[in-house]
Amino acid sequence: MNIENLIPSPDSIPVPWGWFWLFLMITFFLHLLLLNVTIGTGIISLVKSIRGKENDLKTAKDLGVKLPYAIAFTITTGVAPLLFIQVLYGHFIYTSSVLMASYWLSIIALLLMAYYSAYIYDFKFDALGSSRSIFIAVSVIIFLIVAFFFSNNMTLMLMPEAWKAYFSNSRGTILNLYEPTLYPRYLHFLFASIANGGLFLALLNDFRSRKGNNDSRGNILLGLKWFTFAFIIQILIGFWFFLMLPKEIRILFMGQNFYATTVFILGILSAFTTLILSLKKQVRLCTIMVLFTMTNMVLIRDVVRTAYLKPYFSVSSLKVYPQYSPMILFIIVLTAGIGIVVYMLKLASRAGKEV
Amino acid sequence: MNYPVWEIYTFGGGFFIAFIAIVHVYVAHFAIGGGLFLVLTEMKGHRENSEQILEYTRRHTKFFLLLTLVFGSITGVGIWFTIALISPAATSSLIHTFVFGWATEWVCFAVEIVALFIYFYTFGKMDKKAHVKIGWLYFIFAWLSLFFINGIIGFMLTPGKWIETGNFWHGFFNPTFWPSLIFRTTLALIFAGIFGFVTSTFLKDDSFRKTMVQYCAKWLLFPFLFMVISAFWYLKSMPMGSEIMIVERSHEIKSIVLIFITVSSILFISALFMAIRAPETAKKPIAFALLFIGLLYMGSFEWIREAVRRPYLIYNVLYSNSIFKSDLKRINEQGILKTAKWVNIKEINDNNALDAGKDIFKLACLSCHSVKGPMNDIMPLTKKFSVFGMEATLDGMGKLNPYMPVFAGTRAEKSALSRYIVEGLHKNHESPHIALKKSLEFQMPGFDDKTDQYVLLSWNSKGMHFFSDSDKSFSLIPPGNTLYACLIKRGEIPERVFDDIEISYFIDKGFGQPSKQVSFWEFSQSLIGKKLDKDKGISGNPLQGTMKLDESGEIFSADHLPVVPYSEEGSFNPYPLITIEAKDKTTGQILARTKTVAPASTEMGCKNCHGGNWKVLGVTGIAQTAASDILSTHDKNSKTNLRRLAKKGLPVSCKSCHIDSTKETAKDSGRLNLSAAVHGWHANYLPDRGADACYNCHPDSPNGTTRSFRGYHAGIFDCTACHGAIEDHALSLLKAELGKNKKGALRLMKHLKPQMAKTVDEINPRIPWVNEPDCLNCHIDFQLPDNDDFSAFNQWTSVEKDLFRHRHDDMYALRCTSCHGSPHAVYPAASIFGNARDNIQPMQYQKSNKTLGSNNCKPCHTVPMEDEAHHVNSLK
Repeated sequence: MNIENLIPSPDSIPVPWGWFWLFLMITFFLHLLLLNVTIGTGIISLVKSIRGKENDLKTAKDLGVKLPYAIAFTITTGVAPLLFIQVLYGHFIYTSSVLMASYWLSIIALLLMAYYSAYIYDFKFDALGSSRSIFIAVSVIIFLIVAFFFSNNMTLMLMPEAWKAYFSNSRGTILNLYEPTLYPRYLHFLFASIANGGLFLALLNDFRSRKGNNDSRGNILLGLKWFTFAFIIQILIGFWFFLMLPKEIRILFMGQNFYATTVFILGILSAFTTLILSLKKQVRLCTIMVLFTMTNMVLIRDVVRTAYLKPYFSVSSLKVYPQYSPMILFIIVLTAGIGIVVYMLKLASRAGKEV
Repeated sequence: MNYPVWEIYTFGGGFFIAFIAIVHVYVAHFAIGGGLFLVLTEMKGHRENSEQILEYTRRHTKFFLLLTLVFGSITGVGIWFTIALISPAATSSLIHTFVFGWATEWVCFAVEIVALFIYFYTFGKMDKKAHVKIGWLYFIFAWLSLFFINGIIGFMLTPGKWIETGNFWHGFFNPTFWPSLIFRTTLALIFAGIFGFVTSTFLKDDSFRKTMVQYCAKWLLFPFLFMVISAFWYLKSMPMGSEIMIVERSHEIKSIVLIFITVSSILFISALFMAIRAPETAKKPIAFALLFIGLLYMGSFEWIREAVRRPYLIYNVLYSNSIFKSDLKRINEQGILKTAKWVNIKEINDNNALDAGKDIFKLACLSCHSVKGPMNDIMPLTKKFSVFGMEATLDGMGKLNPYMPVFAGTRAEKSALSRYIVEGLHKNHESPHIALKKSLEFQMPGFDDKTDQYVLLSWNSKGMHFFSDSDKSFSLIPPGNTLYACLIKRGEIPERVFDDIEISYFIDKGFGQPSKQVSFWEFSQSLIGKKLDKDKGISGNPLQGTMKLDESGEIFSADHLPVVPYSEEGSFNPYPLITIEAKDKTTGQILARTKTVAPASTEMGCKNCHGGNWKVLGVTGIAQTAASDILSTHDKNSKTNLRRLAKKGLPVSCKSCHIDSTKETAKDSGRLNLSAAVHGWHANYLPDRGADACYNCHPDSPNGTTRSFRGYHAGIFDCTACHGAIEDHALSLLKAELGKNKKGALRLMKHLKPQMAKTVDEINPRIPWVNEPDCLNCHIDFQLPDNDDFSAFNQWTSVEKDLFRHRHDDMYALRCTSCHGSPHAVYPAASIFGNARDNIQPMQYQKSNKTLGSNNCKPCHTVPMEDEAHHVNSLK
């Protein structure tokens, strides 16, 4: 069977692919950031809730009440990259989604459960007593399952060779479990989430401490501890992930392709810089470097995707039937929307309530 | 064709989409109307300086947040997940066409979420004006989300000019954009009232609860008028809108529209009731009942929208099964399996037909139909079909009933899919048709060339009278066989004898009491409007009697003899014999005696598509299952109530509405004649089948039991050579009806493709039983055709007397049928019930089965003839 014959024909696009690439990178970056915070703070809150000492519970609640926001914005920011990836790679991701359709569709029900469970954890934190851990555990476990499904889909869409499995199983229950990069990829994201969850805790308390709240010091250190520990593991997993990549993709980052090599080196350098800053307890600088590292990682991830699909497809081959006016409308509404969000946040901050 | 198909048989495509879409859309509309409800109620609280109202608003916001933000937003994503899995091609098309529409909507959604969080978490903590501002911003962005999605959803229903231009804005501001936007806005406000009931009925303070319930009722009542007006505007804006109202495109729509209207009234009345006089204890249950009714309301509206759009996902662009209309021609030529990327089987053969059928089912059906699932279950819908019937249904899809998409693929694929549904899913394996094969003995009447002075000729008018034995349900054609006879006095110049003779007839033993075999007489009053004496035909003739000279005064006849093919002993014999005797009236001496078959058959294959089995002996007759199904189908498609009438013991004759063209009066005009209606309708379901289409309804199948086409020509060509294929046949009949301005003909003609002519224009219109194929089309000057192109199609006899059965020789002495035999059974004929049976007179008079007179004009002429007086070439 010729694999290429299985790949669906793509639809045309209204503006050159670069625009969509840009929107995809930006919105995915935002999504990744919030996703990391959601999963990371969820895990920390769970651990703290289980430990159950007074200080632990304080931290657990502090993070728990923010979880509904984090989930809401993770989902909201997730919609946009899902939209743009469909524009550029729809014919791959629709296919891989159908192959794992049963799992993929279950995400909706799972997310509903996780979301409501998080709300119960938030609204009833004190009333629930020790059983609160069950609710945060449900949310966290579901997030980890959903993330695993996402890792499966994101790898399966890149590997048309694995699609042949459809001919012996078309019930939508194919996972990409035989793919060696699946596990380091998943764990890489998982530990990034824990690290960023810790960093969020540190940053939040750094902000409070700068506002004069002296109790926050402990949680800054706690957050940084989580961050550093998870970040070191993540770096190690990162290398594992890198080694698992096919050789022809790996060598792109090792000098064969200038752009790939640049973002890769920048990524590694920034990661180590981040680590040093975290050890030096420089929360804000560390955060800036994390954002820079994540930017590089998002770009590296994009290079990997492009390289995987290279034998079959390149975004530059998409037919363009230009029509710019809808994009201009989008940019105008986006700008207005950001302005209005900023305005509303100002109104909210004046009300003295953190949002 | 591009994507793999998720094989979920029980929860076939429709279920997930319907489920998630309806619940989401309900909550999503509430998220808009409810937003306005929040801010206006808050303003009311401030205005009236009422802490109670403000506290109510705060609590309602929490409920609102948990419902819309969590459930609403996740199910919204869920719709995308679902449609991308069930219809990836359609999803891809919508995404790529409207990517920036979606992106803009996403911005609104994001702002909406930020606003709602701020609104909820700062309730009571923020400056009043600022908080109200946040409330308004929430509502504005929620409504803008609707604005943008509405453009895209409307596009699917009415793509408008986009189809020609491909322009984003033409698709977005499509013909239903504004009415749909207003309609949905009013729905959103109504839902705000319904959800308001749910929270307000829980208020503890009696008078405050009463006030708030009344307040919520206004949310239901005020938008109502605008909702009704915009609903009409919406319907009017659809190109298919007038069609829906006039002809009711489908029965499903009709019932859902009814639900929609009923639910509208219930909502309105309940709201009034809640506002005015509902007892306090009833308010909570009513509120929850309304919540559910609201869901029904949303569901029925969405269902109507989907149903109106059918058979498309994007109207006129993409079919429900994700096949682009523009790809149809290519798929029909190359095949669905070859054009689909995700199937294993590319070529169908005898061994893989069922597997191939399954693949085709996945591609063409599964996106809407489940197998034994809760929605659009394919099993009851196809239960009645044989493989042939299933295939015919596939052939007819998207033609007379525009609800289903046309089948995309080749004939072999259609067959494979039919086999999969019938044999694979239903496990219905048809037993091979076993024809009764028996040669029936009879006494050949005698003739002595030397002593006998008379030759008695007799034949029947049509060669086969087929009729329906489903009288309890309906009568297509009643039993009625017409016989002719002619007595010739032999001599050098033979003479026909008319005077002082009596020609009598009687049918074979066992066939004389047809009323014991079929129930035509029981229902004759209802069927033909008069109570018939038992065993007498519609013109009063019994099966034993005397022939009369017909109107022309040239021939003896006994018309409409009620011959049935069932004998008293329970056998099926479509060729019973009738004995004819000519007697000298004065002396009583029998001058001549002969026999002829009175062919009658009930072998009509209605069951092939309408379900059930044969009624009699496993070989013939219309059983009750098929008869009832025919009535139901007619009722469904033509808005009749025939089945109910039949159940009441009042079956009808088809011809009571579908009147013969020759008997039509000005009052009757409008309905198609029976031939045009039956052939026109069924031709849409039986295309490209040549004579096979004829065989499945008429008793002329070469594998059947009757095999009515048994004359000399049967060995040379099939029905289509003279009548054309069913498409041609139907078109010729329908064109004549169209000429009489019967609009119904146009609908039936729309999808028919002529087979034996290049265009429909080339087909000559004809009236049934008047304009028939003329023998002389091939036998020019009575010669044998000089090539193999035996087509008599499309050159019709101009008047009834030119028909083979009425036509004379050049001397006006004999009818063609006198010497050549009946139509479809010309000498020498071959019948599985015994060859001699259909050639009695040639055998009796000239000991050969050839045309009478082929032996030097014997038996009538006592000396050999040298001139071809009857017609040229008659001596050969």
